[in-house]
Amino acid sequence: MKYEITIGIECHVQLATKTKLFSEVDNDARGKEPNSCVSPVDYALPGMLPRLNGEAINFAIRAGRAMNCKINGQSRFDRKHYFYPDSPKGYQITQFYHPIIGEGYVELPDGKKVRIEHAHLEGDAGKLTHFDTYSLVDLNRVDTPLLEIVSMPDIHSAKDAHDYCKALWRLMCFAGVTNGDLYNGNMRFDVNTSLAKPGEPLGTRTEVKNLNSFRSVERAVEYEVKRQAKLLDKGEKVVQETRGWNDATGETTGQRSKEEAKDYRYMPEPDLPPLNLSAEFIAKQLENFPLMPSDYREKFAGKIADDTLEILLDYPALMQKLAEVKDAKRVSNWFASVLLAEEKSAEYLNDLPTAKQLDDLAEMTEKAELSSTGAKDVFLHLFDPQMKTRDARTIAKELNVLQENDSSALEAIVDQVLQDPACAKAIEDFKNGQEKVLGFLVGQVMKASQGKANPAAVQPILRQKITDR
Amino acid sequence: MKITREEIDHLAMLSNFSLTNEESESLGQDLENIIGYISQLDELDTEGVEPTYQVFEMENIWRSDEIMPQDADREELLALAPESQDNQIKVPKVL
Repeated sequence: MKYEITIGIECHVQLATKTKLFSEVDNDARGKEPNSCVSPVDYALPGMLPRLNGEAINFAIRAGRAMNCKINGQSRFDRKHYFYPDSPKGYQITQFYHPIIGEGYVELPDGKKVRIEHAHLEGDAGKLTHFDTYSLVDLNRVDTPLLEIVSMPDIHSAKDAHDYCKALWRLMCFAGVTNGDLYNGNMRFDVNTSLAKPGEPLGTRTEVKNLNSFRSVERAVEYEVKRQAKLLDKGEKVVQETRGWNDATGETTGQRSKEEAKDYRYMPEPDLPPLNLSAEFIAKQLENFPLMPSDYREKFAGKIADDTLEILLDYPALMQKLAEVKDAKRVSNWFASVLLAEEKSAEYLNDLPTAKQLDDLAEMTEKAELSSTGAKDVFLHLFDPQMKTRDARTIAKELNVLQENDSSALEAIVDQVLQDPACAKAIEDFKNGQEKVLGFLVGQVMKASQGKANPAAVQPILRQKITDR
Repeated sequence: MKITREEIDHLAMLSNFSLTNEESESLGQDLENIIGYISQLDELDTEGVEPTYQVFEMENIWRSDEIMPQDADREELLALAPESQDNQIKVPKVL
């Protein structure tokens, strides 16, 4: 590549507070009728005043901590003016001059660091649906709290852009500030890309807006890099513009040029007094701050395989559970190999078994009371609505998968099998040195025990008994 | 301070106002007067002075995160819009 790629990413995270940023109505409009989560404040009726949601401050502080950011005690709100029907106010309330979150960094799994320039609180816009001659406006999303996170231009490949977005998503989910539902736009990415020859100043950048998956971020960067390189190769210029992404065609296209920054006519928001948060207040919000992905990587290094851990790290509640159980290695394997291989796995993960259930199951497996197959069977039943309230041993009993380890009981079954005329030839063969036949005999014992014998315990007994005959 | 016709047209465009010739002229004149009046403040040296956000000296005002009943329901609010359809506000096509 004869051009160096420079990428900066802005990310809008919808905060999962109960109410909106400036009004006391339901912030969770999923599955609700249009305009049913709306107040006179959202309608911007004359005289209506915004009232700041304290929980959004708390969430912003926690998100900032997750990104190793400085939390600014002093922050303020500003109005960003624009005319569009998605905002009845005619402006968005944001933090243009004094954001709540200052500099920090996000670490990618390979150790690269992407610096955060700042992050600020702002209200989301409403949703428009366009028809031939008109548009319909749903204000449910108006003033849903957003945290806009602005990275420094520290990203230099499509893959790192993907990894940064994913790392950010995990941090926000682990910090518990968002539902993290990408499909429903809980996190949206705007990607600025520019090319320049090595040693030369940064090139003209384009901004691809509103990407809502890591994969589309990666593809959009790949496309922009190719498109811009082609222009530069021909000696043409890249136009600074906003471009839209078409997931179906895998292309970006130029959009109507947006207003320049000065056109937004930023002004201090007179209806919201400034914030002046004390160090004690900020520390209080960070009490019981949960472990982050990097903490889990450290905690489970050498216990859980790296590639398994990277899969499980998509599920914060699961990681918390793994930190509670005694045998994280064994339990993580069940989750990775049994549960996540099943369809609807994400659904299962909403309601995890208790640490006690998982500990009991691990202990029974450790003591060979369960075969690995039996353990998986019990494990899956810990998610069964009918059975999940019972303890692991009760479920194992009900499923009839407890192994027989008691040697006198096993000896009786072995004796019974060895007396079976159908096994006479196999016994002869084994005596004549055919080791392989032992597998057949173990199988017969398993059958006689209805699968409950522990094969590992059966083998030595069989050997002994045949030799003694 | 001279406000050009282009600046008035640009501001009108940003706010989606359609102005007649006369309105543009008179608004331009008004704006010039207002800005001229306020420009007297330019005589003061404000270097290093924090802009005033508000004059009440309040800070840290926020509410708890609880859903509260609202004074107006959806139907009342939608009724305020010039047009509505399917429980949504209907507006002319915008792009």
